[in-house]
Amino acid sequence: MATETTREKNLVQRFDDWLGQETTPKRALATYAVLALYFGFLLVPVAWLVLSTLVSSDTLYSSTLVPSLTELSLANYAFVLGLGEFQGYFVNSLIVAVGTTALTLVSGTLAGYALSRFEFPGRKPMLLSFLSTQMLPRVLILIPFFLVMLDLELVDSLLGLVAAHTVLALPFTTWLLKGYFDDIPRSLDEAAKMDGCSQVDILVRIIAPLSLPGFAVAGFYSFIISWNDFLMVSILSQTAGTRTLPFGLQLFQSANQVNWGLTLTAAVITMIPVIVLFALVQKWLVEGLASGGMKGA
Amino acid sequence: MATSSGTGSRYAAEFKSFVKETWLGYAFMLPASVLLGLIVIYPTLRGVHISFFEMSLLQPGQETFVAFQNFAAMASDPKFWNAFGNSILLTGVAVALQYLLGLGLALALKEKVPGVALFRSASMITWVLPVVVMVIIFRFMVQPGYGFLNIVLGWFNLPTSYWFGDPTTAFPLVVTMHVWRNVPFFAIALMAAMQSIPESLYEAAEMDGAGSLAKFRYVTLPQISYVSMIMIVLHVIYTFNNFDIVFLSTGGGPLGSTEVLATYVYKQAFQSYALGYAASVGVVMLVLLLAFTVVYVKLEDTE
Repeated sequence: MATETTREKNLVQRFDDWLGQETTPKRALATYAVLALYFGFLLVPVAWLVLSTLVSSDTLYSSTLVPSLTELSLANYAFVLGLGEFQGYFVNSLIVAVGTTALTLVSGTLAGYALSRFEFPGRKPMLLSFLSTQMLPRVLILIPFFLVMLDLELVDSLLGLVAAHTVLALPFTTWLLKGYFDDIPRSLDEAAKMDGCSQVDILVRIIAPLSLPGFAVAGFYSFIISWNDFLMVSILSQTAGTRTLPFGLQLFQSANQVNWGLTLTAAVITMIPVIVLFALVQKWLVEGLASGGMKGA
Repeated sequence: MATSSGTGSRYAAEFKSFVKETWLGYAFMLPASVLLGLIVIYPTLRGVHISFFEMSLLQPGQETFVAFQNFAAMASDPKFWNAFGNSILLTGVAVALQYLLGLGLALALKEKVPGVALFRSASMITWVLPVVVMVIIFRFMVQPGYGFLNIVLGWFNLPTSYWFGDPTTAFPLVVTMHVWRNVPFFAIALMAAMQSIPESLYEAAEMDGAGSLAKFRYVTLPQISYVSMIMIVLHVIYTFNNFDIVFLSTGGGPLGSTEVLATYVYKQAFQSYALGYAASVGVVMLVLLLAFTVVYVKLEDTE
């Protein structure tokens, strides 16, 4: 019965049913049209980048927009992934980004928890000054920072990069985690305290398991801050042994001026880890960024 | 007697827990504070200090106190004023466009049409891409002969060129990259703000005979004003501070048409080795950014 009536309806009605009650077909079409315009602007460049890495250089350097399916190949990827220096940059990027994420999450969680749960003199000024550090001009910081790192012999070391990237990610991460901790009812802490749990126990056993989405967003944010950074690496890294992908990619680009196929492929490989992580956390990210922007201090 | 000693010990216990909480609070804050202090706050103060000295990266130990000479030199440095003007213009234009376009995208993304969730998450992709990858995409897009943009322009027999190499089009392209990167973030934040507006407000407006334009003007806009201000101030700071988009795409050229303060400081410090002068330009940035920050903190505080 139901299927028969559906079949009898014309296309517009079926579209209307599919939309649900609040949206009229006209409104839906207008929405899709606007979305199509925006996503043409936002995603076509990325799609074209990926497509360009799969074609032969003849097609790449022609005015062909749509290549034939048969000519697509992964030859560029095989070549770039086989380059020793590129593998080195990739491993360095991974070490620095994972190190940054770990250090940021540990120090950010402790600070965020203190700001959320403890009353101590200077709590609010501390939160505000944490946030304010994000607004300081990085190029100004870089001059004395470079001199400090020279003194500490941390120039051209991965540890120096981890430290530099951690402070870039830390203010926002702390604030974000504080927001997640604030949402966990205090009655849970009180109950745990009655049962004789220490503050560290409460943080590890009660708060942390309930804040996993917060950790996902904060961890992702720290990872991409580190993975994407060019400025710090360009100053602190002096030899190939400490170069990360963005800096390596820039060198690669100037060295391969004429070979766009390889440069574009290296660019895609650089962005893949970020896109994969993004796909994993996007559900919480959109929520977290949206609500984080509104919570206030 | 018994009761008073009871209260006394309760106060004592509360005092003890207050002290303990204070100590624990500071202990928990310690790692983050040490990191930020050593790597951000100390270098910033030291940077301000350096701006009063003449100092070269070639002789790191030597510094000569020159008081305000660096700032005086800046006042008569046309390259500084060019970068200053470009920074302000870039920030103003890019953030205005980001807000307007972000508002448009937010209005579309908040509609409850099938598949909109996919659009919501996919939109953030441009925001998570490494800047260097974005720059490579844009540089490739404007290659004459085989870049996407020039191929499309060619269809319509419009002039094609390497647009980053042209002083009149390089700056708009830099603006475009800022907009491309940050519009989705604006859209998601504004969309969330719109979703939290109570439906009753719209119903009340409808009772008063408001059309959709009036509802947008008198209900939506006032309700998202707080989030709008936060987003605008944050991005003013981000855009003004941004270094790598310009440095990687044009290096400040052609003919200084895209030079901004951040790239100027970087070049003065690490390519001309004039640390003192670079720091003094950095201090000008600091003063402007602090003014914005004060606005931001005030806004955060009112919530």
